[in-house]
Amino acid sequence: MLSHTLRRGTLALATLVALPTAASAAEWGDISGRFVYGGDAPVAAKLTIDKDVDVCGKHNLVNEELVIGPNKGVANVVVFVRDRKIDVHPDLKATEPVVLDNLNCRFSPHVVFVQTGQDLIIKNSDPVGHNSNVATLKNPASNTLIPASGETKVSFRSDEAVPAAVTCNIHPWMKGWVVVRDNPYAAVTDEEGNFTIKSLPEGEVELQFWHEKAGYLDSIVINGKKTDVKRGRMDVDVSAKGTDLGEMVLDSSVFK
Amino acid sequence: MTHFLPFLVTAMNRHSTFMCRNRFSLSPVALVLTVCGSLLFVSGCGKTPAASFRPNMVEAAKQRLKPEQEEQVATILEAMFGTPDNPIAMPETGLDIGKLRLAAGPVHSDIVGRKNGLFREHCSHCHGVTGDGMGPTAAFLNPYPRDYRPGWFKFKSTERADKPTHGDLVTILNNGIYGTSMPSFELLGEAKVDALVEYVKYLSMRGEAELNMMRYFFELDDEDEGKLPETRDFLVEEILLPVAERWQEAEDAVIEVPEMPEVDLAESIAMGKELFYGNKANCVKCHGVTALGDGQANDYDDWNKVVKQWSDEVQSSHEVSTKEMSREEKAEHREYLARADKALAGDALEPRTIQPRNLRQAIYRGGRRPIDFYYRIHAGINGAPMPAAAGTLTPDEIWHVVNYIRSLPYEFDGELGADRSMVARDRL
Repeated sequence: MLSHTLRRGTLALATLVALPTAASAAEWGDISGRFVYGGDAPVAAKLTIDKDVDVCGKHNLVNEELVIGPNKGVANVVVFVRDRKIDVHPDLKATEPVVLDNLNCRFSPHVVFVQTGQDLIIKNSDPVGHNSNVATLKNPASNTLIPASGETKVSFRSDEAVPAAVTCNIHPWMKGWVVVRDNPYAAVTDEEGNFTIKSLPEGEVELQFWHEKAGYLDSIVINGKKTDVKRGRMDVDVSAKGTDLGEMVLDSSVFK
Repeated sequence: MTHFLPFLVTAMNRHSTFMCRNRFSLSPVALVLTVCGSLLFVSGCGKTPAASFRPNMVEAAKQRLKPEQEEQVATILEAMFGTPDNPIAMPETGLDIGKLRLAAGPVHSDIVGRKNGLFREHCSHCHGVTGDGMGPTAAFLNPYPRDYRPGWFKFKSTERADKPTHGDLVTILNNGIYGTSMPSFELLGEAKVDALVEYVKYLSMRGEAELNMMRYFFELDDEDEGKLPETRDFLVEEILLPVAERWQEAEDAVIEVPEMPEVDLAESIAMGKELFYGNKANCVKCHGVTALGDGQANDYDDWNKVVKQWSDEVQSSHEVSTKEMSREEKAEHREYLARADKALAGDALEPRTIQPRNLRQAIYRGGRRPIDFYYRIHAGINGAPMPAAAGTLTPDEIWHVVNYIRSLPYEFDGELGADRSMVARDRL
């Protein structure tokens, strides 16, 4: 394991060094927006808990494929910048590892964003053992045993075009997602449906929207008009004053 | 091939067979003659079509590729890897074309009387000409034969996500896989086994390159107009090397196995038992309190999971109401479903759940040497739900679990040290 991690680490480092990281944009701005559910919010189905019932059974776990917040915000929409070569703001250097917790027999947070070369620490705060099976496509997939209060470290060589599912083979209802990008410009919406991507270089960027139940969000109601967003991609102008995309409504049919 | 990639032709000329070279230098008439001639040699001109690789229909339908995109993938694959009769080894793959030629093609003897076409003679019945695990006998076997295309291999000396070493695959071919339909091929002799292993690596690289390309269409920019760039840089850097390099890295990535700790065997078995049932190693969750492999009965291995999840998805798409769709959307929806159904019927085997190993039977697919157990527990089993214990268990603890598992078919009844052994048959 050690030699393996080292080898992977070295490679990741080499990739980092090779990347154009020079910050040359003159001005920086944020992009924000909000995803809203169009229609009556469905009631999340209760999960059947048939493993470690005494521990996992007491948390009233529900299916988290589609989480609609109290104000109809669509949570867990992934927003990321597609542009491969993008100037990165000097304050955004990722140094701290990202943590994905096995907590109350679910993944917390449900969707986690990590950059290439950054460590993802998968820990287990539950009194029962878990394993975390990360089904990446471009990176070698990993599946590690994580005992109660244990943790494991995963890092990624290259970005993933589609978020990768994380599952636990011991508790089959558990599912989470890892978004792997090679720049800091990605965000996941909160329960209100809000997202903000901070300090992008001024000018045009291409955003992509993704949700686990819908895939790429290619049909969004903007200003009351159903808009085709080809493959969930949208060109957006970043201004130093900040760019607000406003309310974007996702029809219930998007999630079928 | 109607159009081919100029940069690759050089590679083909350098690395392909004599016949293949002819294809690009002779006139069309001569070309027809050559191809006909070679067919005549095999089975009579025009009677049997030359063997061809099957496209990965499930992935193509899943990615909703257009017919011209599927065609582009097939064309690039042929330029990179050749055909079942004429394999190509691009230098980046590190594959030995001499070995590939011995394994590829129809079964025949060459000019010095050496037998060729080994893969088709010994392997393709189960693993298929394409190495997709869907040869004619595949559906009748349990477990299904291995599909090499995703590049996952279970029984090896490397870390979970790494490729196997050449030696790992040689071991599998020599020993077979106990408890499955995979027999031993040791009697073929070293050279032939070696050639077959090289060919398995070739089919796996080809299959993974195909997957990479099919998945890449979604990443294309609008200005690519739905076509993969046919430049050497792109195809080598983005498609081929990510696969080939990992095969090469595997050779130096063998797990270091420390000596078994010097403790009394009975003591080690007792500690292993504690770990097995405890919350740290947690073996009991899947292998069951009885260790009969009855703890987790409804999981799938990764090969079956791909098919299972997608067929569920297709099934729910069948149930979506088309009422509010425009005529165009309806047609697109119907076409997608028809294609998905066809792919699932023609390019996938009925998904089966995976059973955790019954540890009382002394049937160990990945080998019965203590070191084989060590590898399995340290790294887990790639493609299967079995996770890696390295980092969670110390090497000594892994050895204790190994010792306990090896004792399970003959587990002492009553106190440890008592001499009444129990065979698996009695316990069952």
